[in-house]
Amino acid sequence: MIANILDGIVLGLQLGLLAAGLTLVYGLGGVLNLAYGQVAVISAMVVAFALDAGVPALPAVGLGLLAGGLLGLLLDLTILRPVYRLRGEARVLLSLLLTLGVSFIVDGFLNWRYPLEALTLRIGGGAVEILGVPMRRGSLVASAITLATFAGLFVFFRYTSLGRAVRSVIEDEEGARLVGIYPNWMLRLILIMSGALAALVAVTRSMVTPVDTTSGLSITVFALIVTVVGGLGNVAGAMLAGIILGIVNVVAADLIGTYISLIILLGAAAVTILIRPAGLLGVKE
Amino acid sequence: MLEVTGLSAGYQGNDVVHDVAFHVDPGEAVMIIGSNGAGKTTLFRAMCGLLSPSSGRVLFEGDDITRIPAERIARLGMRFVSAERHLFPRMTVQENLLLGAYPRRPDPETMSIVLDLFPRLAERRRQHAGTMSGGEQQMLAVGRALMSKPRLLVLDEPSTGLAPLLAQATYEALGVLRKRGLTVLVAEQQVPLAMAFSDRGYVLENGFIRLQGTTEELAANPSVRHAYLGVT
Repeated sequence: MIANILDGIVLGLQLGLLAAGLTLVYGLGGVLNLAYGQVAVISAMVVAFALDAGVPALPAVGLGLLAGGLLGLLLDLTILRPVYRLRGEARVLLSLLLTLGVSFIVDGFLNWRYPLEALTLRIGGGAVEILGVPMRRGSLVASAITLATFAGLFVFFRYTSLGRAVRSVIEDEEGARLVGIYPNWMLRLILIMSGALAALVAVTRSMVTPVDTTSGLSITVFALIVTVVGGLGNVAGAMLAGIILGIVNVVAADLIGTYISLIILLGAAAVTILIRPAGLLGVKE
Repeated sequence: MLEVTGLSAGYQGNDVVHDVAFHVDPGEAVMIIGSNGAGKTTLFRAMCGLLSPSSGRVLFEGDDITRIPAERIARLGMRFVSAERHLFPRMTVQENLLLGAYPRRPDPETMSIVLDLFPRLAERRRQHAGTMSGGEQQMLAVGRALMSKPRLLVLDEPSTGLAPLLAQATYEALGVLRKRGLTVLVAEQQVPLAMAFSDRGYVLENGFIRLQGTTEELAANPSVRHAYLGVT
């Protein structure tokens, strides 16, 4: 049981970070990016190709993060342009449809050209014992990176003027404009950040389990479930919901089976919508 | 400092304000008075870049700022304090004030001037803006605008939703700012408050400027006295 909970926390931290990237873009710009998982997968493939080409691990990961950020920027500069002209629900809906289309195209291309490519990052060294449970070093490194990234996000949003400017747009877009903040620049910045976060999660995930070219959809679905449970536009909620759902997922998979565990996760999201429509840490509008 | 000519604006092709012209000179306090629905808010939104006017021109310090987005106008030194205030509710008073100076580094001297002017904000620095009373939120909205050291402060109905004493206190603070040389343009339907504060004024009715003059002239005008000052 303790082993399951620890594994759940390892998974949950990554789910939380994954959801943070999705929820920030939604909270800031009312844009739901369903090609989010594909951004993660393409970044993972960039790392895999770089490793194949003999690039050392750290620079290869750096290239992957760069690719994630650039893909976010690319979305902002191309497919999201018409989305920005709309407001409210129409904006959410168009962003959802266009990015879903992008995800199909990316999935189709990857499965056609690189059906067997996968990213696995092996972290050397033996298991480390935690609370009497032997944990793989890869899991621990992945969790440490994820926690450090969360800490970095916290510092950025709380203590830097750029981070505060991003939050102000989430709080009140007109208010932000009235103090001279350009909402579109903030959204572009957050899309780049979101792409890099997706890439980072793909990389840390590959330390625990292989990330292959078909992983995109499941990454997006996991991110969406955690986002809904945590509350849209809420990074702290994403982290909390990620950890809870990570534990639920691992325990349910162990007790009942992997397929059923996904249904349980979806059920958790449905119950959350019924009981707390704004999410665990969400604020009512 | 500010010159508006022939400005018409509205929503979905229906103009609410028509061919409005007025100006504000440096160091002046100018009021635009009118009843609820006269078009004061539409006029200010069109002037400050939140709404695209259908015709007309807005010049600020000689530069044409017609149809320039609000975020750029805010950086030019003309700050708009909306009647809805548009604070950042889940951020602290301190954070709201710091954002007022964005993108420049907040100036500690300006911060202490603002906190001296509104001591309540100093007491509530760590409190979330959304949990404060209406009067405190109004102080914060003005304080946030002041953090950027604007040359022109534009206020839309600063007395909205405030108890009479608090509305008066808000105007007293604006009076202090005026004496220090700040140029202020204010829209107000509580006309006596605005009159005690302004040098000149314009009367906006059904989207048209009907009257203009010094505060004394307007206060002596029988129709203004009748419609806005409750004198029969």
